[in-house]
Amino acid sequence: MTLALDTTPRVRRTRVLPGFRLTLGITLAWLSAIVLIPMIALVSRAAGVGFDGLIATATDPRVLASFRITFGASLIAAAINLVFGSLLAWALVRWRFPGRRLLDGFVDLPFALPTAVAGIALTTLWAKHGLLGSIAEAQGWRVAFAPPGIAIALVFIGLPFVVRTVQPVLEELEPELEEAAALLGASRLQTIGRVVLPELIPALLTGFTLAFARAVGEYGSVIFIAGNRPGQTEIVPLLIVTKLEQYDYAGAAALAVLMLAVSFVMLLAINLLQTWATRRHAR
Amino acid sequence: MRAERPSLVDPWPLRIIAGLLIFAFVALFLALPLWTLFAQAFAKGTEAYLRAIDEPAAWSAIKLTLTVAAIAVPLNVVFGLAASWAIAKFQFRGKQLLTTLIDLPFSISPVISGLVFVLLFGLQGWLGPWLRAHDIQVIFALPGIVLATVLVTFPFVARELIPVMEAQGTQEEEAARLLGASGWQTFRRVTLPNVKWGLLYGVLLCNARAMGEFGAVSVVSGHVRGRTNTMPLHVEILYNEYNLTAAFAVASLLALLALATLAAKAALEWRGRTEIAS
Amino acid sequence: MARPDGDRIVTIEALGLEKRFGAFAALRGVDLKVEPGELLALLGPSGSGKTTLLRTIAGLERADCGQVLYEGIDADTISLRDRRVGFVFQHYALFRHMTIADNIAFGLKVRPRRGRPPRAEIKARVEKLLELVQLQGLGGRFPAQLSGGQRQRVALARALAIEPRVLLLDEPFGALDARVRKELRRWLRRLHEEIHVTTIFVTHDQDEAFELADRVVVMNDGKIEQIGSPAEIYDQPATEFVYEFLGGANRLPCRVEAGVALIAGTRLATDLPRDFSGEAIAFVRPHEIGVTRPNGHLDDLAHVRSILPIGPDARLDLEHQSGHIEALVPREALDAAGIGVGSRCAVRIARARVFRASS
Repeated sequence: MTLALDTTPRVRRTRVLPGFRLTLGITLAWLSAIVLIPMIALVSRAAGVGFDGLIATATDPRVLASFRITFGASLIAAAINLVFGSLLAWALVRWRFPGRRLLDGFVDLPFALPTAVAGIALTTLWAKHGLLGSIAEAQGWRVAFAPPGIAIALVFIGLPFVVRTVQPVLEELEPELEEAAALLGASRLQTIGRVVLPELIPALLTGFTLAFARAVGEYGSVIFIAGNRPGQTEIVPLLIVTKLEQYDYAGAAALAVLMLAVSFVMLLAINLLQTWATRRHAR
Repeated sequence: MRAERPSLVDPWPLRIIAGLLIFAFVALFLALPLWTLFAQAFAKGTEAYLRAIDEPAAWSAIKLTLTVAAIAVPLNVVFGLAASWAIAKFQFRGKQLLTTLIDLPFSISPVISGLVFVLLFGLQGWLGPWLRAHDIQVIFALPGIVLATVLVTFPFVARELIPVMEAQGTQEEEAARLLGASGWQTFRRVTLPNVKWGLLYGVLLCNARAMGEFGAVSVVSGHVRGRTNTMPLHVEILYNEYNLTAAFAVASLLALLALATLAAKAALEWRGRTEIAS
Repeated sequence: MARPDGDRIVTIEALGLEKRFGAFAALRGVDLKVEPGELLALLGPSGSGKTTLLRTIAGLERADCGQVLYEGIDADTISLRDRRVGFVFQHYALFRHMTIADNIAFGLKVRPRRGRPPRAEIKARVEKLLELVQLQGLGGRFPAQLSGGQRQRVALARALAIEPRVLLLDEPFGALDARVRKELRRWLRRLHEEIHVTTIFVTHDQDEAFELADRVVVMNDGKIEQIGSPAEIYDQPATEFVYEFLGGANRLPCRVEAGVALIAGTRLATDLPRDFSGEAIAFVRPHEIGVTRPNGHLDDLAHVRSILPIGPDARLDLEHQSGHIEALVPREALDAAGIGVGSRCAVRIARARVFRASS
């Protein structure tokens, strides 16, 4: 991977400001040391297993199962966040109620709370004898140490993304659009569905993508609640750690690269969808 | 203003249904987990809580966490300032690519962030044999933990600063230069005061993540109790040993850090708003 | 579009409307009766309450006090859908994710199934409306692909699609450049003659109000200053504010004795009560002032500062002891009297409107 950076500023005018070469130098050096070189190490190590090795890794039943559970639970969690996150954003922007500012601040809790802490709290809450787990158990639902537990952890860590991407768009939305719709005879639900929602689609997709991407890579909050049974509740990051603990560096690297590739393809697809959705809006 | 527009008011049935859904969601995913955390930490009383924290392994974990943050955060501040200056104040080819690469650590799994350093510096890693010959330990030691933490928190400061600096434009700096200020003076007296709240905000988020990082650190640390255990790792060990009170006690410290970060963030946002308003 | 049925054109009344936004009083007791089919302008400076009045009539604001009546019925009891108000927002508020045709059809498509016209009819009506606003063939475009003037007309077509009983326009030409604005103004006047729907529009531009409207409502500080035809407003401004707002008039301090004012040496009867004596303000338009050769009196004597020819007339800048006076006189008269820059002249006031000096 080579960086073709042309270090001459395009606009001469900005030349009056100093430090371009110095700061760009620091940036590139640090970026290379911390991000690029390690990534190259990862890719080259994965390449070491060869194409056949990669295919063998990818088609291993245990790996396939872990991909299924990781991406499946992430999609479900991101979808739940899409619905509830936009509701929450709507309430925070449009409604006035006591404790609104407090709630607004707490939305970021999953960003700030260490994942391991979230993990043990969620596990205790949803375990068989936990506050919510005992209720679920009485209904015959197994949450902790089962796939639903993974989804719950992933909902938690992805919660702020949709809220924080939708919120500013809602705040900036011209109120006249809704007034126009109301005067044209639309009911409130029609206005929300046909006028507001289409305006939010790009932000919703962005929030969904971010929540999804975060969920796919998540480790700390999931491993406590997942149960980690191979083939059933074992997520890809955990499988990578397992391989690493068995000193299977090449296998871990191959798995990591596969995971990055699948994420990349999915993010690309969502990005394309978003471009398609925003293109009509281009002013 | 918006709240006063009658045609924008949601009808009551809609509010009640949506409100109940939101309440349930917030209770399940925010309030109850937080409550569980503190309830468990104090389940056996304050004394047990204090005993769980005042214990050599806990202290060494706290010390290590503070040390790691004290190294990783300043490094990322210097990098963030440099990167945002170059990106926000100058036009150059490849800028978009550079911004994307800076954001990259956000979109990779923390486990991979740890893995890459094992692949570089581990026993079977690229530099493993050489490091071993020179008796330098990176993996399963402080340097590895710091590296993994730096990678995970890499984008935080830069990401907060770039938009603030871009919004500021270059006119003030240009004016300062034309008035005879040196480059360093311009930066210190014109740029820095303009971006100080954004910078502080970035530092807060960076620090919270640095102290709380689990996955990446877990991969490189080796879990040597009393030596390479950070607070989150210590929580994990206690939890896996079924020492729940102690696990939640240490976890509650991290939770307090998170709450303090949220409070500071809210204060900063409030401050930013009033400064703009005045 | 067919001429609307008689029952669609309604009388709208505002009775004692009051509206506050926090500490700011936007409407302070407004009474207004809008006649069926008329084109009414709400004219005033920004903050005068004209937009709030329009939005209150539409039902977009709820008055703190007072009532809006549609054909004698309290509008609060009529839902927004049933009011059938066509509203054109200043920035159009077009739905940018919908095509022009979908924008126009919106009001028809959201009707409950029973009242909704069949698909083919909606399509035909959209086509007709596109024709009416001269945007044939652009139905498939998105708002972002149109010019400001075109968007404005789309907004109008969208408002007309629901066959409104009243059409309300908030600063309809405010966001357009001067040339497009003039064109659209003429076009809107013609359109109104064609469809004859009761129309109220808000503007801060008096030319716009006078050129378009049947009647003009001048507003200031949350109250109505004057209602009348453009000619009435121009010829007989009712208040000091209207004079000031219309602009161009000289504002001369003067003294009134028993109802008669002495303005720059001219004695004129006023509308003030016979028994009123005291300080007053006279408003005199430039063309209501004549100049003659100095006649030996001191109190009508003025000094000619400058002369600016405007066609057959000339604009004079006069320095009088009561202040600066602007006069518009035929150039012939100047030549006949031998008045030039730097010379002295006597001022004759032909007409003036006198108001008691406030406090």
